[in-house]
Amino acid sequence: MHSSEEVDRAVRLCVYRRFLDHGTPPRVDQVADELGLPPAEAEGSFRRLEEGHVLVFEPGTLDVWMANPLSAVPTDFSVETPRGTYWANCVWDAFGVVAMLGGDGVASTHCPCCDEPMELGVESWELRPAEGVAHFAVPARHWWADIGYT
Amino acid sequence: MLAFRGEAHVERWCEARRIPQGAVFGLDQAWGLGREWYADKLSPEWHRATPEEAEATWARLGLTGDFWRLA
Repeated sequence: MHSSEEVDRAVRLCVYRRFLDHGTPPRVDQVADELGLPPAEAEGSFRRLEEGHVLVFEPGTLDVWMANPLSAVPTDFSVETPRGTYWANCVWDAFGVVAMLGGDGVASTHCPCCDEPMELGVESWELRPAEGVAHFAVPARHWWADIGYT
Repeated sequence: MLAFRGEAHVERWCEARRIPQGAVFGLDQAWGLGREWYADKLSPEWHRATPEEAEATWARLGLTGDFWRLA
């Protein structure tokens, strides 16, 4: 592993694999240990992945908050898949967890207006019939101004 | 991006928060976003979509107009 591109690829895959295996994302030192990287190199990669909008950290830290579509903190988007049950960041990401893990799963959320539960199932890459709509409050070009609110 | 039981629920929710309504679209389109955006996320070859690729993906799903422009 030499180029920053190769390091970033290995770090990205390591973060996602561990996140999926353990249900929580790894710390940067755990990634460095697993990949045999000097700590500074792993930290540099984490920062590049943040700048590239691949990872989102808790403010002021290198602790992963989002490795989209996965969320490290509980949300109103719980996604059950054959691989495991995970938190997603929003309904796009909830479907994204299903897609990333093979196209079968159920996303559970609530209507923010009336708090009624909603179950959105996907089977063999097909969305099961479901009543509802999706809403984006923020136009696309402003999403990354505050990725926690879109 | 949130899921609502219907468009009237979006309207009520936005009114209660005094925020303008954004883009409302079908759950099938939301599933399309998840599928198109993330199906290859665990591939070593995955790369973040360029703005042009992103807009093309949204257009394929019928998500067009100023709301979906990145530039």
